[in-house]
Amino acid sequence: MERADTRLIKRSIWQYLDVPIIAVAFLIILPLLGINRTTDFIIFCIFVLGFNILYGFMGRLSFGHMLYLGTGAYTMTIFSEHISQNPLLAILASIVAGALIGVILGPIIVRTTGACFALINLAFCQVGFFLVLVAFSRQTGGEDGMSANFSKLSFLNFGNKAVVFGFVLFCLLLTYYFLKKFTSSPFGVLIKSIKENETRVKFLGYNTFTYKWVTFIISTTISAFSGALSILNYGYVTPSFIDPTRAVEVIFAALIGGSGSLYGSIIGGVVYMTISNYLASYIPRWEMFLGFALLVVVFRLRTGVWGFIVGMFNKRQKVLEG
Amino acid sequence: MINTIAYGLTIGAILYIISIGLSLTFGTMRIVNFAHGFVYTIGAYLLISSLPFVRNNFFLGALIAVVAVIPISYVVERFVIRKLYGVSIDYAIIATYAVALIGVDLTKWIWGASPIPLSDPIGMDISIFSVTLPMYRVLIIALSLVIFGALTVFFKKTIIGKIVIASLEDKDAVKSLGINVDKYFSIVFIIGSCLAALGGVLYAPITSVHPYMGMMVLLISFAVVLVGGLGNIKGTFVSAFVLGMVMAITGRFWGPAAETMVFVVMGIVLIFKPVEV
Repeated sequence: MERADTRLIKRSIWQYLDVPIIAVAFLIILPLLGINRTTDFIIFCIFVLGFNILYGFMGRLSFGHMLYLGTGAYTMTIFSEHISQNPLLAILASIVAGALIGVILGPIIVRTTGACFALINLAFCQVGFFLVLVAFSRQTGGEDGMSANFSKLSFLNFGNKAVVFGFVLFCLLLTYYFLKKFTSSPFGVLIKSIKENETRVKFLGYNTFTYKWVTFIISTTISAFSGALSILNYGYVTPSFIDPTRAVEVIFAALIGGSGSLYGSIIGGVVYMTISNYLASYIPRWEMFLGFALLVVVFRLRTGVWGFIVGMFNKRQKVLEG
Repeated sequence: MINTIAYGLTIGAILYIISIGLSLTFGTMRIVNFAHGFVYTIGAYLLISSLPFVRNNFFLGALIAVVAVIPISYVVERFVIRKLYGVSIDYAIIATYAVALIGVDLTKWIWGASPIPLSDPIGMDISIFSVTLPMYRVLIIALSLVIFGALTVFFKKTIIGKIVIASLEDKDAVKSLGINVDKYFSIVFIIGSCLAALGGVLYAPITSVHPYMGMMVLLISFAVVLVGGLGNIKGTFVSAFVLGMVMAITGRFWGPAAETMVFVVMGIVLIFKPVEV
């Protein structure tokens, strides 16, 4: 009895400590990778979180999530060019743009499931890519992209890389905390039930459409947020931010970390970025490696790295208990 | 104007040849096959490689390319697709996408990344209604009609076709009759892959051949399949030609928008006709 109690306390401590753990983990990574790369990693992790809320929790695989990232990135740049150079206002504008695109496209996209959902996202991403690259090339700089300049704030100087790092890390923790609260709320439980069996959720009298729409909007908003943050980091936008062929990156990150887990998203983001940043310089056939890794994940390691760790931990726990 | 229509018909014919395999794979196995684009690309590359051996005879080269795709598609089916039956559709998408990634890298490894141009294999023109058209395009349109007829006969008259049609309706019922459905599915998969390779071969002289040519065509043929109805053989035929016309007419007024317009049409169709997958 006593042992069970201590374990309960232990587990709850783990639950409260997750935000500091993530912060400390990135601070440990920081000297290993350098500040630019670590900032990059954190921003990608936010994107994976935004993607995973849709894929891992609601069970809808989007093959065009770059569209929402690109919406944030381009809004950020164009806002700073034409309206105001205040970076915080620009980020706010990107978040609003991300939410808006979710509100507009949601009713069309959310009604579909499975392959249709994946492909209709891809189709919209293709349209967005075309709009940026060709139709509005005068405003977006076309293939060359355009640079974004931000004014210096008195309390937050984004010219300093350390400030950017701190701000981005704070954003990640904020996103993580919000999503943790969101997924453990009744709303989040309902979304997980939609993944398991939507018909039954409908039988229980819930209007699943609204729930799916709201989740979709949250996902697009977080993705746009991460797009805006990467502009803050790079100061430059190119069509590669909205390139449909890059959609697989975030899918791979979500899968390898373990879909349906917030920790898994962050681990997946870090693992993917490590592979693409370091392995690519050692392995010339990098796309082929990614392909084989994806096959291994799909056929052998479906729960991802985080699921694997949790599984090992549970097994050990059982052995210890006899 | 007639030129635009002829161009639209050509694109429609090629789109039909490519999409029918995709549509059948989806209808029978419930798998969205991203590796289809890879087969299409490899078909065009095999044609280029085989041309020197057959003294630049385009038709022999095309035949070799299509036949050579059979073992490749069998390997893909045996080691990837067959393991995906009954698995969640997301994993199928990701796994076949992985195959496409490997395939693209393989073509880059073997043939290099730079585009290879190919000239019109016939080079003769034919005049219809006082408009001169390249003979090659007319042949493509005719070929697509022949394939449509052949497939219709195949699905109506042969026992394999009948089994496939029955499994499109109700797979479990066919299984309970003691028929090994999976065997017929792999036949369908290989036929579809051969047709995709044929599409690549036919399209190669119109554009240039490069490792990523499959991706864009794949997206467009997905649009064709979704608009025409998944696993619907006649629907795919009609929607391929309609979307081919859309591409040609848009391309006439504003070149770069041609492919995007297909997705706009697809979006509109899906709004009014949601596909339950």
